[in-house]
Amino acid sequence: MAPVLSIQNLTKHFGRIKAVNNLVLEVTSGQVFGMLGPNGSGKTTTLGMLMGVTNPTSGSFYWFGEEPTPQIRKKIGAVLEHPIFYPYLSGQKNLELNAMIKECPVANIPRVLDLVELTDRKNDKYKTYSLGMKQRLAIASALLNDPTVLILDEPTNGLDPMGIAEIREIIRKIAAQGKTIILASHLLDEVQKVCTHFAVLKKGNLVYTGPVGEVGSGAEIVEVNADAEALNELLLQFSGTTSINRENGSYHVSLRDGFHSKDLNKFLFERGVVATHLVTKKKSLEKQFLEILSEST
Amino acid sequence: MVQLLKIDLKKLLNYRTFWIICGLYFFTLLMATASGMEFLKWLARTVEGFGQSININRIPLYHFPDVWQNLAWSSGLLKIMIAIMVVISITNEYSYRTIRQNIIDGFSRKKFLISKILTNVVLAALSMVIVFLVALITGLIYSPVYDFAYMFKGIEFFPAYFLEVFAFLSFALMLGIFVQRSGLSIILLLNSYLIELIIKENLDNYFPGAIKFFPLESIMNLVPLPFARYAFQEIQDYVSLSAVAIALVWTFLFNYFSYLKLKRSDI
Repeated sequence: MAPVLSIQNLTKHFGRIKAVNNLVLEVTSGQVFGMLGPNGSGKTTTLGMLMGVTNPTSGSFYWFGEEPTPQIRKKIGAVLEHPIFYPYLSGQKNLELNAMIKECPVANIPRVLDLVELTDRKNDKYKTYSLGMKQRLAIASALLNDPTVLILDEPTNGLDPMGIAEIREIIRKIAAQGKTIILASHLLDEVQKVCTHFAVLKKGNLVYTGPVGEVGSGAEIVEVNADAEALNELLLQFSGTTSINRENGSYHVSLRDGFHSKDLNKFLFERGVVATHLVTKKKSLEKQFLEILSEST
Repeated sequence: MVQLLKIDLKKLLNYRTFWIICGLYFFTLLMATASGMEFLKWLARTVEGFGQSININRIPLYHFPDVWQNLAWSSGLLKIMIAIMVVISITNEYSYRTIRQNIIDGFSRKKFLISKILTNVVLAALSMVIVFLVALITGLIYSPVYDFAYMFKGIEFFPAYFLEVFAFLSFALMLGIFVQRSGLSIILLLNSYLIELIIKENLDNYFPGAIKFFPLESIMNLVPLPFARYAFQEIQDYVSLSAVAIALVWTFLFNYFSYLKLKRSDI
């Protein structure tokens, strides 16, 4: 896979503050790449450098293997932080202006307005839009030039649950078209739902990068319940058990490497106990994320 | 180039404040330059002895070729209005953060600046054309004789007036880019004459030769004050090439400083 984006030792200092420190990262075609990190971890600064608004202190990055130029930015759709438009222009006029800057046909506008369901309001001034509509217009603008890469920074920030669901739906639609998406967020649930790969930043340092699927591996946790007395003791006898927690009336058993829920089930059955409830719990991204952050200190 | 101009004009032509300020500016420019005789009548009415000692109808305010310098100089007083519009246009880009989005969308910083400079060129050219037409029409109305050999003497004050407006708008644009806040930029713009005057007056005793190199002074020197000639004083009735050279250097520097600032800063 050809790298869409490769970042080499990218660094940005604001005075004494190291906002981004020697970042090395690669995004390949077709990935939905999540950038995670607490507030102030350098996500927006990194994206700002990638989009030419923040001058790097040192280091370099390449889009599609080439040095970055304004021309390349025209083929990348990006929304950083919050939507930015001319408040006194209508949605339509704002997009026309963006089309002129991106040097793409104005004929693309109806299609993107349709995608984000803003066609009805296109002639209203931008300042009359609700936050959700502003976010959707920003996504429409990012998609205007039919970009191969889409960068979204906190696209669901400040939205109500319905707005979040709408934006997620739009991201899914776009990802389904095979576009590469870079999504910065601190909503882990969001990233887990849509991303294929992710990286974790902390105080400007890259602390983890890998595919989202791998997050589920490692030690397994099984939620068990059964009509048996002394289930706790029984579970402790199982040779794969490392620890047991009682939560909400069922037992959460952490398993050793190499043991799976089916081994536990078999063990219980052999002892004459039938589980009424048996769920393999993948480690959530949230758990993994917090672990990564605390390990890196 | 045309595309860049179109982009900036698209931002402005849908902006109501732009229409109001530009409307006021061009309306005032038109009316003020055309109402010179009315102004003289007003002077004669209000100033004691003015009407008696001078017959205002004998003042050749609108006669060829006086009219060129007279109107070019008077119109120069109004450029502050359109300069405030330029400040609003650039500081809006900072307060709305649209300059950031423009760059993200694929504008280079240089192209962004050029689009703003081109608008300044258009505003200066429009001012020049309007004042030229007023001068031509009023000259044809009021001049007792048309002598073609003599009529267009001093018409070079119009390119000089164009440079005067463009240089000042470049200065306003630079202030906006450096200060980034509209209120503060406008106050600095209004105050800049006073600041320069104080420096000049203090410097006058030591380096009188340095005065003409000051930026706003050099802009003012392009079209010198003509009216003293009606009080039988010697005036400079031509465009001085050294004044043009100094003003051109400043105009270049204003825009170059804007470019350097834009290039180096994080937006």
